[in-house]
Amino acid sequence: MPKSVSLTRRQVLALGGSALFLRTLEGWAQGEALRIGAVLPSRPGSEWEARAAEALRMGLEMARDEYGENAALLGQRLDVVLREARDREAASQEAERLIRQEEVYALVGGLGGQAEALMGVAERLRVPFLNVGDPSDRLRNEGCRRYAFHLEASAAMYLDALAAWFVQAGFRSWFLVYPEGREGQALYQRARKSLLERHFGAREVGRAVVAPARPDFRPVLEALRRARPQAVLLLLGAEAQLSFLAQYEPLGLPTQVTGFPYPETQTRAFFAASRARARRAGAGYRAVLWEAKLDAYGARELNARFLERYRRPMDPSAWAGYQSVKILYEAAAFGGGPEPARVRAYLENPQTVFDVHKGIGVSFRPWDHQLRQSLYLVKVSPEAQGVWDLATLVGELPAIYRPGTDPVERLDQIGDLRRESRCRFGGEGWGATAG
Amino acid sequence: MGRYRWLTLIGLIGFVALLPTSLVQPAVRYRAYVSNEYGASITVLDVATDAVIGTIPISGRPGEVRPRGMAVSPDGRIIYVALSDFQPILEVPEDKIVAIEVATNKVVAEYRVGSNPERVALNPEGTQLWAANENAARATGFDLETGRTLGEFQTGVEPEGVAVSPDGRFVYVTGETSHTVTVIDAKELRPVKHFLVGHRPRFVVFSQDGSKAYVSAEIGGTVSVVDAKAHRVVETISLGLDSRPVEMALSPDGKRLYVAGGGTSAVYVIDTATNRVLRTIRERMGRRPWGITITPDGRKIYTANGLSDSVSIIDPESLSVVRSVSVGRGPHSVVIGVVR
Repeated sequence: MPKSVSLTRRQVLALGGSALFLRTLEGWAQGEALRIGAVLPSRPGSEWEARAAEALRMGLEMARDEYGENAALLGQRLDVVLREARDREAASQEAERLIRQEEVYALVGGLGGQAEALMGVAERLRVPFLNVGDPSDRLRNEGCRRYAFHLEASAAMYLDALAAWFVQAGFRSWFLVYPEGREGQALYQRARKSLLERHFGAREVGRAVVAPARPDFRPVLEALRRARPQAVLLLLGAEAQLSFLAQYEPLGLPTQVTGFPYPETQTRAFFAASRARARRAGAGYRAVLWEAKLDAYGARELNARFLERYRRPMDPSAWAGYQSVKILYEAAAFGGGPEPARVRAYLENPQTVFDVHKGIGVSFRPWDHQLRQSLYLVKVSPEAQGVWDLATLVGELPAIYRPGTDPVERLDQIGDLRRESRCRFGGEGWGATAG
Repeated sequence: MGRYRWLTLIGLIGFVALLPTSLVQPAVRYRAYVSNEYGASITVLDVATDAVIGTIPISGRPGEVRPRGMAVSPDGRIIYVALSDFQPILEVPEDKIVAIEVATNKVVAEYRVGSNPERVALNPEGTQLWAANENAARATGFDLETGRTLGEFQTGVEPEGVAVSPDGRFVYVTGETSHTVTVIDAKELRPVKHFLVGHRPRFVVFSQDGSKAYVSAEIGGTVSVVDAKAHRVVETISLGLDSRPVEMALSPDGKRLYVAGGGTSAVYVIDTATNRVLRTIRERMGRRPWGITITPDGRKIYTANGLSDSVSIIDPESLSVVRSVSVGRGPHSVVIGVVR
């Protein structure tokens, strides 16, 4: 065991990973094949979802190659088996095939609304699943699963970060637009909580519910004109966000508009479309999981390698794909082997730390399996000609450098805390969606 | 009594005259060399006075060309500086190792040792240069006598730290992203082992007797103690998850390991007999100490403070910062050269 002066919580966290590692060296058999399965949507619901899926594939492939070479140095072999599925049912079938026939020890996926289906299969067959594409809070609460882990940030994290950035910048009065239905209502309620409970001085001056398929924004714009908010938050899907921006732009209102950062709305392709539909309003501030211009903590090198390989910036879904393989590979390497139960135990161990190029050791929250991590704020450029310059990094939250404070508590500044969680792994909190 | 005094004096003079020349030569003078990553320069300090006695420009393009890791020849007369730029995807003319003569503070040679070299190490004979090529997942060996590349070797992802064992046999290269150390046999020129250490290993240093190596892990907040014969981690020293250890320096007697805690603006002092933290130095430390070194006589410790553009000078006796000196922009590393 490592020796140390009196062990603080932080030291215990660091020490745990090290101890597990020492066990690994003895326990991991040489020549063992490590196979990770990934399911991507074959018929993305929109052009934007297709872009995110393409980026995800790129990140998965790059990580497969890099960690494959590393595994070879350790006498191992790493494969990432990619499969496509047109809908949730097909995703379930592909996941089951990957587990039963390809003998993958973990699954990755979740774009295109497939996360819940994949979580169900993973739970039933007891194989860890890493969600890289669905921010729904429901999947981290009533719908949580013991074998599901969330690399994608939760809606609660995104909303807390957005509220913090905007309110601290002086945007106090808000107008919220959300779609009908359970998910829309949940997003609206959580956004209110971010604004009203976490930020003294922020207030809601209006809201509008729209039909998710073909939203009519005319009454919304009229209500918005009357309410005169400082900021509008669109809790809508990618296409609806673009549609709103196109109708909002001619009004010439000064209100800042930002949208909920679904993965498909975090790509530079989406930023370009946003700016094309609304030259002024579409060049606002957006929350992202990753930014290709992040230049610290080893991010420069990661972004540069991706740029060199694919000749395009590393969109957040590409980062998520890359890190999903890295995390699952490390879970097998440091956790004692690729047995699914062992990998799950390593992932959910609060002492486990991962390095995801964000400059701080991150871990999965034990109460809902959400990865603690920093998020970023970018400004879409109104003038940029090239893809690279479409976005500029302007913010990071939580700030990772605050010596003297607990890094875990630092990261837990955004998102739902344990006392707020409705997740009960295997217990009474399991809802009707249990697989 | 007076006559005895005279006799004693004459005797002393005669004794001194018979001493080997080397014992009566003036003491060596040390100079501290600080690589300024954002200033594209090297700041030189006189260790006796801690005064800045010169700045060596490395490139006319500060902010583009970045001097980072450094190594010193065994006799202390040459400083080797790893240069690269901020575009790690490209191999550019600036990707090289420059050699600075301590006596003159002039660049006397340049060597191409693979792309994007981040850190560099020298073998004990001073005949081989080893560089970690960060963007290429490679380490490159270079023969200074023949001017030829010894070989390029695959490493973990994003290699950074590099060190040669005191017997010159093994080269350790850390892989930042894969949390690994790759061991290269410098005689047979082949990789012989690859093993896991803590998360984001930044730096590696061998004990003077070559029995151990220490590997710092920035994200893990640990220092791995490696059996350098078996190439196996035998103990892990935890400094805390948020300790951010980067460069390390061993005291000349090997009894203390000084660890720069970059993002925490601290230096951790480890007792190598017990592997326990003796002291954490925070008071008056510069911001983000990334590099750290100790003078060969063990009397001063220098840290290169990246965010305060300064060097902190620590007294190893009191373990306190005794002086701060402004240097160039973005100090990365610091080493000690010798003027004989």
